[in-house]
Amino acid sequence: MSAVSVEALPQQESDEVADARRRKRYQAYGAFLALAIVAVVIAHEVPSWLDLNIQSKAQDAYKWTVNNRQSSPLFRYFLDPITDLLQWMFEVTMNVLEFLRWPGVVALTGAIGWRTGGIRAGLAGAAAMLGVGMIADWDLAMITLAIMLVAVFIALVLGVPLGIWTSRSDRVEQVVRVLLDTAQVLPIFVYFSPVQVLFSIRVPPAIVVTVIYALPPAVRLTNHGLRNVPVVMNEVGQSFGANARQQLFKVQLPVARRSILLGLNQVIMMAFGVVVLASLLGTGDLGQVVLSGLQKQNVGAAAAAGLGIVLLAIALDRITTGERKHRFNRWSAMLPKVPHHVARWIALGTVVVAVALAHAFDWTTFPSWLTVDIATPIDNAVEWVQDNLSDVTQAISDFLVLNVIDPLYRFLLWLPWFFVVVVISFIGFTSKGWRLATGVGLCMILVAAMGTIPGGGGRVALWDIAMDTLSQVLVAIAFSVLLALPLGVLAGRSDRFERFLRPFLDVAQVLPAFVYLIPVVFLFGIGRSAGVVACVIYAVPPCIRLTSLGMREVPVAPREAATSFGATGPQEMRMVQLPLARKSILLGINQTLMMVLATVIIAALIGGGGLGLVAYEATTKPLQKLGQGVAGGLSIVLLAIMLDRITQAWGTSKQGGNQ
Amino acid sequence: MRTSRTARALFAGVAIASLLAACGDDSSEGSEGTSGGSETTAATGETSGGGGGGGEAITLAVNPWTGSAVNAYVAQAVIEANLDTTVEIIDIDENATWVGLDDGSIDAVLEVWPSGHAADYETYITGKGSVVDIGKLGPSAKIGWYVPTFVIDEHPELATWEGFKDPELAKLFATAESGDLGQFTMGDPSYVTFDEQIIANLELPLKYVVAGSEAALLTAIDKAIADKQPILLQFWKPHWKQLEVDLTEVKLPDVTDECLASAAAGDGGYACDYAVDELYKAANAGLEEKNAAVFNLLSKLTLTTEQQSEIAGYVDRDGMTPADAAKKWVDANTDVWQAWLG
Repeated sequence: MSAVSVEALPQQESDEVADARRRKRYQAYGAFLALAIVAVVIAHEVPSWLDLNIQSKAQDAYKWTVNNRQSSPLFRYFLDPITDLLQWMFEVTMNVLEFLRWPGVVALTGAIGWRTGGIRAGLAGAAAMLGVGMIADWDLAMITLAIMLVAVFIALVLGVPLGIWTSRSDRVEQVVRVLLDTAQVLPIFVYFSPVQVLFSIRVPPAIVVTVIYALPPAVRLTNHGLRNVPVVMNEVGQSFGANARQQLFKVQLPVARRSILLGLNQVIMMAFGVVVLASLLGTGDLGQVVLSGLQKQNVGAAAAAGLGIVLLAIALDRITTGERKHRFNRWSAMLPKVPHHVARWIALGTVVVAVALAHAFDWTTFPSWLTVDIATPIDNAVEWVQDNLSDVTQAISDFLVLNVIDPLYRFLLWLPWFFVVVVISFIGFTSKGWRLATGVGLCMILVAAMGTIPGGGGRVALWDIAMDTLSQVLVAIAFSVLLALPLGVLAGRSDRFERFLRPFLDVAQVLPAFVYLIPVVFLFGIGRSAGVVACVIYAVPPCIRLTSLGMREVPVAPREAATSFGATGPQEMRMVQLPLARKSILLGINQTLMMVLATVIIAALIGGGGLGLVAYEATTKPLQKLGQGVAGGLSIVLLAIMLDRITQAWGTSKQGGNQ
Repeated sequence: MRTSRTARALFAGVAIASLLAACGDDSSEGSEGTSGGSETTAATGETSGGGGGGGEAITLAVNPWTGSAVNAYVAQAVIEANLDTTVEIIDIDENATWVGLDDGSIDAVLEVWPSGHAADYETYITGKGSVVDIGKLGPSAKIGWYVPTFVIDEHPELATWEGFKDPELAKLFATAESGDLGQFTMGDPSYVTFDEQIIANLELPLKYVVAGSEAALLTAIDKAIADKQPILLQFWKPHWKQLEVDLTEVKLPDVTDECLASAAAGDGGYACDYAVDELYKAANAGLEEKNAAVFNLLSKLTLTTEQQSEIAGYVDRDGMTPADAAKKWVDANTDVWQAWLG
C-alpha cells in the first residue's frame, strides 16, 4: 500500500460523483457552522443538568466495599481465594528463585536466551541479570522479578484467549478495544485504593495492578497476529479437514506466533513500568528503594535501584525477543555448530552446575566484591547538571509557561465548552467522516458530564480542568514530535546512530519516572513546564522507534529509482522515503500521545496539576475523594480516546477518507 | 519451533527440580523468608489459632518518614528480645496502611498524624470498629507556613501573616505559575491542607500551587535556597529537612474554637493556624486476642519528643539504619522500655 496509489484513486471518479460528494461535504460544513453558532450563543458554561453523577456513584461503591469487605460473600467465596492464589503463586516463584540462587538465575537466563534467540541473546540476558546484582540489591530484585513473572504469566493466560476471541468478531473487538484503551491510559492511582480493598495489601494487589496495566499488548498483538494469518493458510487447513480447534492450534496460532511473542515482549516492558507504584502497596522490593531514595532526595540511590529495574527488564527482553533477531555476526559464526539435542543438554547442564556450585559453596548472597557503586557518580553528575544548567532551564521553563502553555490554556478556557465539542467533532469529520465526528464529539460531551469538584474557593467544572490538561498535553505532544522526528529520521538512515541511540531509548522507556523527578524539578521548577518535560522524556522513545522503523521499511526499489533519476540524497529522502514512511510515522505520533496522556499523572507529582492531580487524589484521600479521582481519570481516558481515534484516522487513509 | 520446545522443557525441568528441592528443606526457607512475603500475609484477615508468646509474627507498618521507622524498630527490638515474638516491618503507603489495619494484614502502626486521617478514624475506628486507637505516642507535630530564614532577615515584616497582606512583599514569592501574585507552595495533596481557605479568608495576595509530592517540595526548597529566591510553603516539624536547612515558621492567627468548628463543619471558613497534631498509635482490633502481651506493650509504648528526635538524629544526621539506631537507643535506655513491659 503506497501513498501514490491512494492518491491516484479519486481521479478515476466521474465528475458527477465528485460533484455530489462535494455538495454533501458543503452541507456538512454548513451543519457544523450552524452548531458552532448555536454553541457560542447558548452555552458558555457546562450546564449542571449534564452531570452524570459518576462521582457520587463511585464514592458510594467504594464506601460499600470498605464497610463490607469482611462480611460479603463476594469476598469470602470469590475475591479472597483469588488473593490467596496470587500470594501462593508469588511464594512458589520466590522459592524457585531462592533455590536457584544468584548463579542459577544468571545461568538460567543465559540458557533460555541462548536456546530461544541465539548465543548473543543468551550472553546479553545473562550479563544484564548479573548487572542487576552489581548495581542494585539482588534479594530485593528477586522480589521484583517474582512479582513480574507472576503478573506476566497471568497477563498471557488472560490476554491470549481474549485476543483469540477478539480476532473472531469485529463487535467484540470494538468493545475490547475501548476497555484496553482504558486499562492503558486510566491512571493507576484511580484504581489503586479500590484494588487494595478488594485484594488487601502487599503482593496480591501489586500483581493485580501490574496485570491490568500490562494486559493490553497481549490481547492486541494476539488479535493482530490472528487477523493477519494469510487466507491461503486457513484454506489449506480446511482442505485437509481440520476442525475449528485443530485449525486454531495447528495453523493459526503457530502462524501468529511471532506477533504473540512480540506481545509477550511488550507485556514485560509495560509490567516493569509499574514496579515503583506497586511498591507503595508494601511489596518491599526494588521499587521501594526508588521511593525511599526519593523521600530522602537521594537521587543516586534511587537511580541505582531504578537502573536495576531497567536491567531486569532488559534481561527479560533479550531472552524473549526470540527469533525476531536471529542475526548471526562474524564472531558467533566462528563458534562450532552444536546440534539441538546436544545444545539442550549443554544449556541444562550449565544451569545445574551453577545451582550445584551455589549450594556447594553456600553462595547465598550476591558477592559484595562484584557490586559497583554507581550512586555516587550519578549524584555528582546530577549535581553538576543542576549547578550549571538550572539558570538556562529555569528561563526556558518560565518562557514556556508564560508564552505557550498558559495562553493556550486561557484560550481553551475562554472558548464556550460546546464550541470546543463542535470543533473537535469537525476535525473528526474531516479526518474520517460522520462516525468519527459523532464518536469524538460524544467523548467530549462525556468529559463535560463529569461534574464539578471543590477548588479555588468554590466549585470548578472538571471540563475546565480537562482544558488545563489538554493544553499541557498538546504542548508536550508538539515538543515530543519536534524532537523525535529528526532523531527518528536520522536513526532510520544510519545504523550507527540507531545503535548509539538504542540504550538511551531503552532506559528512557523503562527507567521509573520517579528517578528523574527531582532533577527535573530542580531544573525547571515546580509547575506545568516541569510536567511537560517529564511527559516528553517518557513519550519520545516510541516516536523515534516507529519513525526509524518506518524509514527502514520503505522498499529499496522506489528509492533507487529516484536516485537513478538524479535525485540527491536529501531530495530522495524528502520526496520518496519520508512520504512512504508516513503511515509508520503517524503511528509513532499516535503512540506518543497515548504515552503523554499516560504520564500526566506523573506530571501531577511535580506541579502539573490538572486532571492528573484530580486522579492522584483518589489515592491520597480515597474515603473523601475517590469519586472525584474516578471522574478525573475517566476524563483522561476520554481525551486519550478522542486524540487516538483522530490521529489513527490520519494514519490509515486521509485522502480516501470519506468513502 | 524446535528451539522453543527445548527452552520450554529446560525451564520446566529446572522449575520442577527446584520446586521439589524448595519443598524439601522447609527449615532453610523459613529463615530466609524475610525477603519474601511471610506466610501470614493471608488477606482474609482471619488469623488461625492465635494465642500467647512464641506464636505468629507481628507485622508493623512503617510509613515513609524517619519518625515512623524509628518507633517501629524500637518496638521490634524490645518485643523480639523480651516477648519471644518475631516482628516483621513493612514499608508501606499511609493510605494502604489503613486497609492493612482493617483486614489484619498489618497488626499496628505506631505513628498516625490525626490531621490527615480524620476520615479513616471515623470509618475504621468509630464506624467499623475493625481498628482500635491504642493511645498517644507522645510527641506532637505541627504543620505550618514556612519561609527560608534569610527571607525574614531581609524582610522582618514577613515573620507574621500580616506581612503578606502587602502585595509588594507577596510579589517576592511570584513565579511564572503565580503571575502577579505570590506563590504559596503545597506539597503532597494527601496531607491535610487549609491553606487555600486561609489565603482566601485572610485576603492574602497569594496563589495556591500544588507541587504534587513531598520530593518535589523538598527539591523546591533546595532550589530556592541555592538561588536565594524566596519561597513560601506548607511544611512541618519534625522533619529531617529541618536539620539541614534553616526555615522559619510564619505566624498565623491563633487557633480558636470557631476556627476548629469551621474545620469540622467543612464550611470553608478556616482562617487560623494549624492545630498541634498529637500523634497516636492504632492497631487491628484482633491484636489483643492474637497476642495480648504485644498488644499491652504497644499500648504502653510512648516516647518523648526528645527521645524520638535523638533516635531520628542517629538516622538522619549520622546515617545509621533505623534498625541500628533503634538498637543503640534500646541498649542505652533499658529503664524507659522496661516500663512498657509491666
